[in-house]
Amino acid sequence: MSEEVLVSIRNLHATANGTPILKGIDLDLRAGEVHAVMGPNGSGKSTLSNVLVGKPGYEVTKGEILFRGKNLLEMEPEIRAREGVFLAFQYPVEIPGVANNYFLRTAVNAARAHRGLDPLDAMDFLSLLREKMKIVEMPDDMMKRAINEGFSGGEKKRNEILQMLLLEPDFCILDETDSGLDIDALRIVAGGVNRMRSPERAMLVITHYQRLLDYVVPDRVHVLSKGRIVRSGDKDLALELEEKGYGWIETGDAAGARS
Amino acid sequence: MSPALESLARLALARARDAAPAWIERLREEAAVVAREQGLPSRRLEAWKGTSLAKLEALDFVRVGPGAEPARPDAQPARARATAETPDDAIELVFVDGRFEAFASRTTDLPEGVSVRSLAELLVSEPEALEGRLGTLAEPKGPSLVALQTSWLEDGAVVAIDRDVQLATPIRLRFLATADAADAPSAAFPRLLVVAGRGSQATLFQDFACEGDAPGLTNFVAELHIEAGARLEAIELQRETAPRVHVTQTHARLERDARLDSTVLSLGTGLVRSELSVALAEPGAETRMAGFFLGREDGHVDHYTTVDHAAPHCTSVEEYRGVLDDHSKGVFRGRVIVRPGAQKTDAKQSNPNLLLSDRATIDTKPQLEIYADDVKASHGSTIGQLDAEALFFLRARGIDEARARLMLTRAFAHSVVDGVGEAAIREELRERVDAALATTHGALDAEESV
Ligand SMILES: Nc1ncnc2c1ncn2[C@@H]1O[C@H](COP(=O)(O)OP(=O)(O)OP(=O)(O)O)[C@@H](O)[C@H]1O
Ligand SMILES: [Mg+2]
Repeated sequence: MSEEVLVSIRNLHATANGTPILKGIDLDLRAGEVHAVMGPNGSGKSTLSNVLVGKPGYEVTKGEILFRGKNLLEMEPEIRAREGVFLAFQYPVEIPGVANNYFLRTAVNAARAHRGLDPLDAMDFLSLLREKMKIVEMPDDMMKRAINEGFSGGEKKRNEILQMLLLEPDFCILDETDSGLDIDALRIVAGGVNRMRSPERAMLVITHYQRLLDYVVPDRVHVLSKGRIVRSGDKDLALELEEKGYGWIETGDAAGARS
Repeated sequence: MSPALESLARLALARARDAAPAWIERLREEAAVVAREQGLPSRRLEAWKGTSLAKLEALDFVRVGPGAEPARPDAQPARARATAETPDDAIELVFVDGRFEAFASRTTDLPEGVSVRSLAELLVSEPEALEGRLGTLAEPKGPSLVALQTSWLEDGAVVAIDRDVQLATPIRLRFLATADAADAPSAAFPRLLVVAGRGSQATLFQDFACEGDAPGLTNFVAELHIEAGARLEAIELQRETAPRVHVTQTHARLERDARLDSTVLSLGTGLVRSELSVALAEPGAETRMAGFFLGREDGHVDHYTTVDHAAPHCTSVEEYRGVLDDHSKGVFRGRVIVRPGAQKTDAKQSNPNLLLSDRATIDTKPQLEIYADDVKASHGSTIGQLDAEALFFLRARGIDEARARLMLTRAFAHSVVDGVGEAAIREELRERVDAALATTHGALDAEESV
């Protein structure tokens, strides 16, 4: 495994609309690693992902986030995205009137421009899109429809993975992408995630369930509780949590919190 | 009297007489008296509170209708532009400064039972075909510019669809205004009369454009008689530019089980007053009224709509969407009248607006006048910014903020255009809307950054 730290989160404190939510998160992700983050509802998992991608409404009150050594918190959301940070949202929004394929091409070309590449024309983009759509088993007609409009829960999640496959980010955050998926959709989503796994990339996989981690085996597992990482371990920690629930570690002591 | 009315009265005296019958001449004269007596509507009138016609009042008109030199079609780039989008097999009438231009129009090979003709020609050759129809829905009385328009009633389009005829090809009416010098305002008074016969079906596209940047007035009146069981789709595109003043008054009357799908787009930059009045006169009549208006620079766009539920079991669904940029002003009035006895009326109305600039304003008001008790009526107007969640989502995928805003603004407008049933016209409208939105503030930023 590579030694390069891709993402470094140090003593991160953040508030949501003035309420303190994250209370000192420390986390390093090295290139090639997959980290799972688990934890009870309301513990701050989505807040952490939103802060990572720069969603308005959150304020970082202390600490820093470095991405490839650069201060992520100083970048606009679109710059973070073009630099290679990607969040598959827990609740993808519906955007009536904006066609999926048009949106995807605009996003892909924005990323390409950032890397000094020429934009893809409609034909080249279409063949790239077709290739990626096969991976997530998405029918053609969904591309002509508006972004997520009328998509089922599972289709929305597959659409998030499709975006990830097209944009090829180096830091992928998946916020409960497995929630609400049936077995087939779970297999498809996990397949897409595993395709993205590479020695250059790091992933932060937020989940409540072991079943995703059966497909996407994590290098590290962290438990978030009340805005802090209260426990970290290897893949067996997830199995233990599945069995015993969170009660036994939510004692407030932060033993073994550093990854 | 204002310089505008004074100069128009002077021009009226010098007008060449046509051979219209006495009843037409009387209609004009009576309208002229009303127009003179009431003057141009002032802001003291309830229906004109949001809009001042001071800009129009100040105009000292030098001509009404086309200039003296009838140019050859190949020497008229503007005319070519007006018709450039039209497919070869179209039915199209071109009017320049309100006057029918036969050589630029395509009215041959009309299907049986469809008549599309110039009003000027009919006034002379078959005026009896107009009796009881012309001037009956849009009555020359105040407070409006219908009387002024009627006093100048000379030319325009007359469309008649016979009983049970289903016309697949849309009828396109292109109204082009030409310009002289900046200090030589001109006026055009085109007119439209439609009789959609029982059980017929047709689509009508009205496109208003102008060339040059001289001040002027287009004052248009349309009367749509939609007979029992007929369906009419009427699309109106307004894209005249400042400093031209565009006033349009459309009056529709629907008989039993008739249907009107109206789409009105205001994309121009000048002063616009657009009135649409739909009377659901008999049971089962139904109308969908869709609108999109864009305000730019110091543009002023006023949509004054009325739905008159005069019979039971009628339905109206109205949605006008506004986007206002720079220091433009939008006005929307949605009158819904439910007359006594118009039970089981279903009337929906909404007017969502987006403000792209903090100097832009919108003045929006529904006006419900309900005199029946078994009625479903809803209305809502909103004034807002773009959806923050959607905006963030696009940015989180690497799309810069300006472009993301433009994408969402376009989507907001496209939802109106997408309701148009005729595919070729829908495409043309989409392009027009995109081109217009591309000049708004956020869009200009987007061009720079991508
Ligand atoms: N914008 C906000 N304004 C106020 N409170 C917020 C905001 N966003 C999150 N919170 C609060 O912060 C806490 C953490 O929320 P968060 O969504 O991060 O939890 P989570 O761990 O993702 O939970 P779940 O497992 O249910 O998805 C919750 O108490 C939530 O109500
Ligand atoms: Mg969450």
